[in-house]
Amino acid sequence: MISFEPTEDQKLMVESVAGFARNTLRPRIREFEKERGVSEAVRKTAHELGLGLVGLPESVGGAGLGMTTAVLLEEEVAWGDPAAGFAFGGPGAFGFAVLELGTPEQATAALAPFTADGGHARFGAVAWGEPKPNRDRAGFTTTAKKTDAGWTIDGTKSYVVNADRAEHFVVFAQVDAAAGWRGLGAFLVDKSAKGLKVLARETTLGLDAVSFGGIELTSVVVPDSARLLGGGDFDAALVRFFARHAVIVAARGVGLSRAAFDVTREYVDNRKAFGKPIGHFQAVAFTVADRAMDVDAGRGLVWRAAAAWDAYDAGDRNANDAKECLLRSAHAIAFVHEAAMRCGDDGVQLHGGAGFMRDFPVEKFMRDAKQIGLCGMTAEHADQLAGAVALGVAIDPGLVLPTPETQNAFV
Amino acid sequence: MAIEFSLGKKQLETREGIRGLAKNVIRPQALAWDRAGGIPEEFLRNMARLATSMGSNAMRSGLGDETEEEKREAEKKRGPSGTNLFGVLASEELAWGDAGLLLCLPGPGLGGPPVRGSGTAEQKKRFFGMFEDLDNAPLKWGAYGLTEPNAGSDVSGIRTSCRKDGRHWVLNGRKCYITNGARAVWTVIFATIDPALGRAGHRAFVVEKGTPGFGVGRIEEKMGLRASETAELVLEDCRVPEENLLGGEEKYVSKEGFMTAMKTFDNTRPLVAAMACGIGRAAYEYACDFVKDNYVLSRPIPRYAAIVERLAKVGRSLEAARSLTWRAAWMADNGLANAKEASMSKAMAGQAAIKACIEALENCGAEGSIARDHQLLEKWFRDIKVYDIFEGTGAIQRIVISKRLISDLKSF
Ligand SMILES: Cc1cc2nc3c(=O)[nH]c(=O)nc-3n(C[C@H](O)[C@H](O)[C@H](O)COP(=O)(O)OP(=O)(O)OC[C@H]3O[C@@H](n4cnc5c(N)ncnc54)[C@H](O)[C@@H]3O)c2cc1C
Repeated sequence: MISFEPTEDQKLMVESVAGFARNTLRPRIREFEKERGVSEAVRKTAHELGLGLVGLPESVGGAGLGMTTAVLLEEEVAWGDPAAGFAFGGPGAFGFAVLELGTPEQATAALAPFTADGGHARFGAVAWGEPKPNRDRAGFTTTAKKTDAGWTIDGTKSYVVNADRAEHFVVFAQVDAAAGWRGLGAFLVDKSAKGLKVLARETTLGLDAVSFGGIELTSVVVPDSARLLGGGDFDAALVRFFARHAVIVAARGVGLSRAAFDVTREYVDNRKAFGKPIGHFQAVAFTVADRAMDVDAGRGLVWRAAAAWDAYDAGDRNANDAKECLLRSAHAIAFVHEAAMRCGDDGVQLHGGAGFMRDFPVEKFMRDAKQIGLCGMTAEHADQLAGAVALGVAIDPGLVLPTPETQNAFV
Repeated sequence: MAIEFSLGKKQLETREGIRGLAKNVIRPQALAWDRAGGIPEEFLRNMARLATSMGSNAMRSGLGDETEEEKREAEKKRGPSGTNLFGVLASEELAWGDAGLLLCLPGPGLGGPPVRGSGTAEQKKRFFGMFEDLDNAPLKWGAYGLTEPNAGSDVSGIRTSCRKDGRHWVLNGRKCYITNGARAVWTVIFATIDPALGRAGHRAFVVEKGTPGFGVGRIEEKMGLRASETAELVLEDCRVPEENLLGGEEKYVSKEGFMTAMKTFDNTRPLVAAMACGIGRAAYEYACDFVKDNYVLSRPIPRYAAIVERLAKVGRSLEAARSLTWRAAWMADNGLANAKEASMSKAMAGQAAIKACIEALENCGAEGSIARDHQLLEKWFRDIKVYDIFEGTGAIQRIVISKRLISDLKSF
């Protein structure tokens, strides 16, 4: 059956998270921005609300509420502050990486610290990007070499979300240089590993409360058991990780779009020009109508993608269901990235000069919209993914995933 | 309830059935219908029979043919009806087969909803009764006559006049662009007792074919949707019996008369949106197949990535429109007011589908514009444009939407 109605339980959760977003997050977005982080007390509340582990299956220690519940809650959080979802403690992208790439045992062990007491203070991170392309061949410059002790990793990773906060990383490195983008490996690496150095945090256009940085690995040794093999088809698992994570980012994009839309709708109601509210001019009203469609259609696509993942998780995880997930996720993320940018841009525009001032939140939403569009999977990569699925051609990780060779993104 | 997008077993089977019909029976004839400017009656009869046998008047009557009370009654018995959702799913498939077929199907068509919504019991019986015998009687159509040469979007500006004369109403004026207008056994005609009264002056009549003074003007030559008849109707001292005033005199004490005319659209707009999605999808799939057949994907050159991106953008816009369409239909099935959402679906689907057709032609290059046998792309390109025009243009949908978003906005 097709239905757009959340369950009673979901409605209750949405209500409480929406209250938290309205009363705790929204009034403090400028404070979080200035402090470049979400305060510990707020992170604790978020943890108590169960945010962070919602979308992970129970089998690996998650809350088991499903991706649909997760996107409902993520939208509310992002409405309060688009940066918050990234800046709360918790596994974040790391969680989806170990879920898709690790064995159930590896995933359960890797996620254990986040489910324990004090989880709000623990961050996970995925070290994917690199500052420069490898000019001699496709693939990353960071390498992982097999030794008797396990693997030795060398290289520099960049565009890492929460690099300076994380205790646990999934690090991607080249294991087979000749195979280019099809020769990658993934490894669980702790911050405490010898030879791991956290690089300075970047200053960014938007999402100031989120930490963006990198790590340097010099002869970091990890045991063989730290390698995540992706259940036999590493590349397929890799793309699934990106797609699943993209749905969460897309839900945040919807929350951001709605936030920009709401403040703008209110502004055009109250601001008067030529003797009437500016919303009573057609050019303004139609823009508002278009952005409302963006918010609603984006949400529809995100729900559809989340429902596809829930069906995949509930089933036998076959390749066909996975394709459906990839296609739906790609549609959602590409549409929402662009829609969020339109909502932010038009939001500022309809505020006029006031929109440019930091007195109003809308300029932040516009900056955040561009920044969030560079998180996880970009619209361009998502379109390549959707196109490959639709055309039935092999999915090339080098084409559908953000890399220094195409377009780096924060993961 | 839970958020869900999978279809039940029965729905899936039905959709597969319609899909097969669209692919194997409808699509192969679409070009011929386009060229002939119509669809053979025997085929229409079979299609109408099939629609009825599927337990739905949906496809015959332009759907939305339950009144609110009937719907509430039905819901009490069997939970929320799936009528509207089923309607949009079926419409998308049929329009994928041919853009004009649904408009050609016999039945009350767009005239159905106002008669259902405002007609007296006697009128409903009289005007719907005509359509019952599908097997032997000649095929019959109903029509909806609102648009005039000088009033389309601005419905309140209609000038067709009506005045009471004894037991008749006398109508004078012209209606244009009326779907099935020439062949209709009756047409719901909107007229005014006094243009100065605006909407409060509007009256709706069921004007039957053969009524003295009621004639057909020109049949339009159109860019696309050529299998569908679009006619001009002329009313010259046309004497309509008073019992054909829709709903009777008391219905017009308030502004309700006009509102009923507009309510038609809350249910039909998602259907039109779904049809647009179907045509857009047809073009999109055509382009995907063309790329698969003609491009050497094993030897990717940078340009391929650009083409893939083009296709993907179309694919996701259609999906976005479909999601708004399903939502609007789902709301209608659950008795939720959906005027805003219905307009959103139509506004987005019309544009997404037009874009899909334009991009498909672009992707196929010169080949795409050739009108050869089984080459439907240029036809879809011609057919789709009107989906952003009839039942309210994109701008009119945005008026409906923005009035529901912006405070105290009555008009621009
Ligand atoms: C194939 C076909 C079948 C049809 N079938 C029927 C039918 O069965 N019954 C029926 O009654 N009608 C029918 N119509 C008519 C159709 O509903 C109208 O054409 C449509 O509503 C637009 O009206 P119009 O043509 O007068 O354009 P206009 O109202 O003159 O509009 C011209 C342009 O101005 C814009 N515009 C108008 N007003 C505003 C405004 N306030 N703000 C911003 N922009 C505005 C419109 O969006 C449009 O772009 C049909 C039309 C076609 C083409």
